[in-house]
Amino acid sequence: MIKIVIDNKPVEAQEGQTILKAAQQAGIPIPHLCYHPAFPPEGSCRICLVEIEGLPKLELACSTVVREAMKISTQTPRVRESRRGVLEFLLADHPLDCPICDKAGDCNLQDYFQEYGAFESAFKEAKERREKKIKIGNNLILDRERCVLCTRCVRFLTDTTKTQELGVFRRGIRSEISTYDAELVNNNYSGNLVDLCPVGAITDAQFRFKTRTWFLVPAESICPLCSQGCNIYLDYHPGFPRVSGTAKIYRIRPRLNPDVNDHWICDYGRGGYLSLLSDRWDKLVWRKGDRESVLIWEKALQILAEKIRTLHVIKRTAKIALILSSWLTNEELFLIKKIFKDDLHVEKIFFADPKPGTGDGFLLQPERAPNVRGAKEIGFALNSARLEDLSQHTDILIIFGPFLAELFSTAELKTVFDSVGTKVLITSRASGLESLVDFVLPASGMAEKSGTLTNKNGKIQSFSAVCPSCGDSRPEWSVLVDLAKELKVNARYYSLLANPGAIFRELAKEIAFFRKEPLWIS
Amino acid sequence: MEDKVLTRNFGLENLYKVDVYLQQGGYQALKKALKEMTPGQVTEEVKNASLRGRGGAGFPAGMKWSFVPQKVDQPKLLCVNADEGEPGTFKDRYILSHNPHLLIEGIVITAFAVGIHTAYIYIRGEYEAVAQRLEAAIAEAYQKSFLGKNILERGFELDLFVHRGAGAYICGEETALLESLEGKRGHPRLKPPFPASVGLFQCPTVINNVETLANVPFIIGKGARWFMDHGLPRDGGTRIFGVSGPVVRPGIYELAVGTSLREIIFSHAGGLKPGKKLKAVIPGGMSAPILRADEIDIKMDYESLAAAGSMLGSAAVIVIDEETPIVDVLLKVAKFYSHESCGQCTPCRIGTSWIYKIIRRLAAGGGERGDVDELVRLASNIKGKTLCPMGDAAAMPIISLAQKFRTELESSLKNQ
Amino acid sequence: MRPDISAGLNKKIAELAARYPKKEAALLPVLHLIQRERGLITAEEEKLVAGLLGLKPIRVREVVTFYTMFYQLPMGKYHIQVCTNLTCALMGGDKLIDYLQKKLGTKIGETTADRRFTLTEVECLGACEQAPCMMVNFDYYGNLDKEKIDAILKGLD
Repeated sequence: MIKIVIDNKPVEAQEGQTILKAAQQAGIPIPHLCYHPAFPPEGSCRICLVEIEGLPKLELACSTVVREAMKISTQTPRVRESRRGVLEFLLADHPLDCPICDKAGDCNLQDYFQEYGAFESAFKEAKERREKKIKIGNNLILDRERCVLCTRCVRFLTDTTKTQELGVFRRGIRSEISTYDAELVNNNYSGNLVDLCPVGAITDAQFRFKTRTWFLVPAESICPLCSQGCNIYLDYHPGFPRVSGTAKIYRIRPRLNPDVNDHWICDYGRGGYLSLLSDRWDKLVWRKGDRESVLIWEKALQILAEKIRTLHVIKRTAKIALILSSWLTNEELFLIKKIFKDDLHVEKIFFADPKPGTGDGFLLQPERAPNVRGAKEIGFALNSARLEDLSQHTDILIIFGPFLAELFSTAELKTVFDSVGTKVLITSRASGLESLVDFVLPASGMAEKSGTLTNKNGKIQSFSAVCPSCGDSRPEWSVLVDLAKELKVNARYYSLLANPGAIFRELAKEIAFFRKEPLWIS
Repeated sequence: MEDKVLTRNFGLENLYKVDVYLQQGGYQALKKALKEMTPGQVTEEVKNASLRGRGGAGFPAGMKWSFVPQKVDQPKLLCVNADEGEPGTFKDRYILSHNPHLLIEGIVITAFAVGIHTAYIYIRGEYEAVAQRLEAAIAEAYQKSFLGKNILERGFELDLFVHRGAGAYICGEETALLESLEGKRGHPRLKPPFPASVGLFQCPTVINNVETLANVPFIIGKGARWFMDHGLPRDGGTRIFGVSGPVVRPGIYELAVGTSLREIIFSHAGGLKPGKKLKAVIPGGMSAPILRADEIDIKMDYESLAAAGSMLGSAAVIVIDEETPIVDVLLKVAKFYSHESCGQCTPCRIGTSWIYKIIRRLAAGGGERGDVDELVRLASNIKGKTLCPMGDAAAMPIISLAQKFRTELESSLKNQ
Repeated sequence: MRPDISAGLNKKIAELAARYPKKEAALLPVLHLIQRERGLITAEEEKLVAGLLGLKPIRVREVVTFYTMFYQLPMGKYHIQVCTNLTCALMGGDKLIDYLQKKLGTKIGETTADRRFTLTEVECLGACEQAPCMMVNFDYYGNLDKEKIDAILKGLD
């Protein structure tokens, strides 16, 4: 450890750390534009210049390594004037776009101007005009007037994805970020460029003009699209009062986790999550022949519990089949194990998950489900559902999730389902299966419930509900607890499981794997 | 009195041919170094001679060489800076075209001193004819075993290549030169690390100017003492001063370090052309702050010029006459730096362009009160804040012109 | 589709690349060579050079657009580059470029209709003792005045 002083405050820094990092850890912010923790220092924006005692010129905080007894000042008049100078230059070459720029509210230039500038412009000359709406990728728009040439985008594509779609052409004030003609940015991490850009130069085409960042509440969550378990923010608009339909999740951003996904998420997850929000199924439906009735939850669970209890009493639970999904949380899978395997001795348990895809060698995993490892550790064999499994002497079939529709066609399933007694579908998304079953119990979407997931490396990560469950939907864990209570087999046990936290504690008691790390669960 | 050391036989026809160079005593110093001295002794001699870099920065050459770590896994490399882009400077062109073997000899001795086996001459792209002559001289040197394997049968090996630039002043800055040599845009690098530890292709690298290396054979041949006697105690040898502008005899003048500027202009270069009066002088290439006509009684050495707020730089003297409006000088200065800015760092990229725009407006008659102060303010926001020294080079002349000729500049402004 | 580069050029490029521990370092010399043969560097040349040196074409274009001596558009047979930097301006260089504009009937940065001359202004050429100067292709001319310019242009074939 190295002892330094920043703004007269003693700070402990690590050997080899830069001033910027040491200051950040000590809670002292130093403005920076070209610096990004994922890359080696660039030193070109010059806004991080600080004063070091004994040195004649101001030095870069982003690249200067700390030395024992170094005395650094980040707030002297000289430093403040330097920052103001850099800001003044940047703004002299920057369009007054804030009213129409999606980055407003989230913009480093705005924040730094507010904090370190707030001056009248002295620029009386003609501003540089540049192209403002260049498509550089599937979902990416480049505005060259707003670009501050921090080159984070170029460096990301050179160092991280190694695909090199962007470069800097020309020189001096004419320098510009560009693709190579029509060879646009085309890789599974292109969305990160929007997050990387410190200003509104690279923006998301889908997000363009949709809302304002200050309406959005960033909620922590986990991406469920594959087994990597990347940490994310869901930017959620709580909605305007008295205007229905305005509450929604507008975008997904990465959340830093050095153990899982670093600073990045892939486009498959980023766009995939937003697709989860469409095709929501949120109605509780009971189909009897051609008639569809509306039920309330208590009634539906009563009917289902009755049917199950009947089989249990005559020791015929072999006629119950479950189709689970690795999208279910640890808590939900644990409940299913307790209720169906342990209490009811159900044997026919199968899995229907999205078809595996190709891993991309970085974050995206072939398993397109978030809790495959969790399911394994809880004791499931993850046998993939086959048509013959579904037809053989099944009185009650309970299907979790919409993915059965990805494995088999409606026609195939219809044939098989005809010989099944009662079919129950517990799902958050429409898939076509709804017309084939007797009961459709609407489940909460991933953003509407809480729980934990186990990623492919065994890391257990928790996520919390961001928005209320829509329509009639309820989290699967809640449905299972109430069903269990209704079943009256071991009801007292289940009545204590009031929330995912309580369920996880029981899970950890029973299965050693889940005792690994302390977790906070809401 | 001119002190022709480097340039003493420049008038000789075909001096660039190896046979003529040998007749003139060429490559004797190399023989002495390889046969009678150790690498360490060569470096010591150069240190003792107080040879300062002749590219502009004036860093002691021997000291620079000793920054290269002795024992290292990577090969050590030498880059010769023949980019000569500083406006007003043309001295290296003379050395390269009149006496390329002098440079080659200096390169081989330097490489021997530091333990270098590959060297590149980075020559500006415009010097095509000069580069061809250089390549021919290198071929001759290989033939005569002054380059290649087993030089002079002493077991020392050196390969020397010419690498042409393509039109970028910034590539005269040593780290931008390295980037350009590696086949990239000429973007200067952050220092530290310094090229002596992490340089060309990440290897320890020495970078020296043409004239600096051309002095090395004399130091080794005649000794450090002799070299120092031609100059000043901490700044040995002669300097090749370039004089240009409306003088009677523009050209190169090899003189002792510390020669007076007045003497250079009025004695050696013959003074201003008939009918012209002196207004101002830029003493060390365009990046050097300007001196008024009443400031030319000054010794042309690093310390004296620095004390006067200017610099020796590349020793390129640009003479300005009274008929030239200072705003025209400002215009050329501002245009140059904004054109040549590499664009990496904020203050230089945007500041030089802003300054140029103001001066264009001034020159077109649209100047307003406060513009001259604004020029000084903006230039001061560039100075000392940039990634490389070109920011200072861009800022200092603007500041000195605006301050020393404020009255003339402000007389043309509106709403006074 | 223009023909591939000649065997001779290929050989020269390989020789150049061998001078450096990484062949991509030969980019500037190779671009000079290619431009000498093709007259300019279009996307086709960029891709060609990129392939030879193990680079992506975008890296080649980054270099081509950074340096003033690489041309992306066709140049006239004679590229007249007049220095308009400080010393040459002090010695009348700005008037000479005006003279050339009128004489050639073309503006700075443009090529004459018969594609014979391209006229540009350039920064310091490093021949200030002979100011005012210009370069025609790679040949230096100094101590210019209107008469000398007329003579030089007349002497070009």
